[in-house]
Amino acid sequence: MTTLRSVLASTVAAALIVAAALSVARARVEAQPRGKAVYDKHCSECHGADGKGDGPAAAYVVPRPRDFSGGKYKIRSTDTGSVPTDEDLVRSIRQGLYATSMPAWDRILSDADIQDVVAYIKGMSPQFSTPPKPVALGAGTPSAPASIDRGHQVYDKLQCGKCHGNDGRGSGAVTTDFQDDKGQPLPAADLTEPWTFRGGATSRDIYLRFRTGMAGTPMPSFAEAASDAEMWDLANYIVSMARKPVWSMTAQEIADLYAKQDAEAKANPVKRGAHLVNTLACATCHSPIDDQKRVLPGMRLAGGVRFRIEPYGEFVTGNLTSDKATGLGNWSDDEIKRVITRGTLRDGTRLLPFPMDYGSYSTMTPDDLNAIVAFLRTVPPVSNKVPPPKYKWLIPYLWGKFNLLILGGDPPMTIFSGNAGTKGGAQ
Amino acid sequence: MKRFLKWALLVVVVLVVCALGAFLYFIPPFFTTAPEDFGKAMAAAAPGVDGITDPAERAIAARGRYIVMTTGCIGCHATNGPQGPDLTKYLAGGGIKSVASQATYVSRNLTPDKETGLGRRSDDEVKRVMRSGVFPDGHVVAVTSMPWGAFSNWSEEDRHAVLVYLRHLPAIHHPTPEPVPGNAITASGAFEQDHAWHDYGTAEAKPIR
Repeated sequence: MTTLRSVLASTVAAALIVAAALSVARARVEAQPRGKAVYDKHCSECHGADGKGDGPAAAYVVPRPRDFSGGKYKIRSTDTGSVPTDEDLVRSIRQGLYATSMPAWDRILSDADIQDVVAYIKGMSPQFSTPPKPVALGAGTPSAPASIDRGHQVYDKLQCGKCHGNDGRGSGAVTTDFQDDKGQPLPAADLTEPWTFRGGATSRDIYLRFRTGMAGTPMPSFAEAASDAEMWDLANYIVSMARKPVWSMTAQEIADLYAKQDAEAKANPVKRGAHLVNTLACATCHSPIDDQKRVLPGMRLAGGVRFRIEPYGEFVTGNLTSDKATGLGNWSDDEIKRVITRGTLRDGTRLLPFPMDYGSYSTMTPDDLNAIVAFLRTVPPVSNKVPPPKYKWLIPYLWGKFNLLILGGDPPMTIFSGNAGTKGGAQ
Repeated sequence: MKRFLKWALLVVVVLVVCALGAFLYFIPPFFTTAPEDFGKAMAAAAPGVDGITDPAERAIAARGRYIVMTTGCIGCHATNGPQGPDLTKYLAGGGIKSVASQATYVSRNLTPDKETGLGRRSDDEVKRVMRSGVFPDGHVVAVTSMPWGAFSNWSEEDRHAVLVYLRHLPAIHHPTPEPVPGNAITASGAFEQDHAWHDYGTAEAKPIR
């Protein structure tokens, strides 16, 4: 009788487990189309149609968008090598990742939308077939002067300053210019600017970054090098390093901060120039795109984007890389600056004042112009010969003008995909 | 006498056609204006920050002005006229830019006007567009229309400075077209128009080598 009962019970239990598993699987499948709809509308511009982190915007933003197919996540509450929990993913989507182009979606997407898109994203990586291993989070250590002092000692012991600097902002560091495991630039975090900490700036957030490491970056887990108490003290110390953000400063403090930033820019023109080229959207016109609007691999800043501007003609953007034959390699500093500020090429050809807005660029300080030139000298050469401008013949040009100015047609500017230049072989 | 009149008429017609041609040829005066004058016009058009009373806010807005001016926001956020972008309506939007096989975009009014400009938007909403291209209705503006991917590389403090400057611009009432699904012209809506990309294909684009 007992055997029969136990057999029955185990059968029922097995049936229940199978049914539960099936319903979970079905719920997952049902979530997919909804998750895909949310994903395609809100996520694909950066993360790409199939989640490889290669959407149209990917080539322009620093840091690059996450590649979901790899299953590697920086912001986790799980052991090193483990995938994040659903709550981790939901939190990153709801709050965004600070100081990246990932915004907070909590005001736009409903909780159900976020759950659906999390399920969809998890489906992109086989790593999620292994369940996450959340770390056991203790009560922590409340911030107090003694804990902060101990944290300072831990900072020295773990040699955090080798990457982040002794002052948390790079002073005395071996280098702060790192790359992630995809070879993309990833500078060490400035620890005095907590509003830039991707995963949040509470002592708990910071503790988790030491404890779990940041997958895909040079930031390792310190779970074995330091005790739990040490990591909490260190977190309290990092919180105490914060400086005032500009929106809380007095006029004098702002003047001091800006003077310091200007001095740093002048001391490191290549870094300043890279920042300017990144933020002035040079790459948007000077990098050819494919028919999915993604920058062609290896062609960033190599020119070759064809513009049709009515009624003037067709123009192809220049190669800004340091290639000697087809890029800026043989241009003098003054020649480069003359194009940027006066729209005049080496042979004296005048450019239209748009879309190459040299009028605006000429309002830059001489230091910033020098910085841009210094950076462009460091862009690896790509051989891509761009054709000269094709201005319209006189009569079509005058007719286009008549249409534009007298008949009131819109001045259309059309940008074409593909590389209109001739890509050369190896130099 | 009749013959003279005929000739005179012909000369007049030729002169008028030439005059119209020359008029059309020289406006907008892109190639008769000294290149330096474009920069001077841009610097003069960007409203100054001296009128801001709070000294901290003034310092931040000055940084914002430098970024807005050098980035050339006015290149798109202005109505195009016979003289090029209309600099008298600074950042009041209305410029049209088309992107092949994708959509036509109309730039928005960035002045603090409460009905047609950013006066309608919260600080977070404005910063979110600059940082992530995400509009208040949730759609992501194509990075090929507004290069927000580049502007997302501003530091958070610089983004704040740009916002502060935009908030202190003179408000200009200047309506720009709202996005209309299915319409060829949308203010930002690559999303509604995205199918057009596939419809037109890339026949005009050069093959990728």
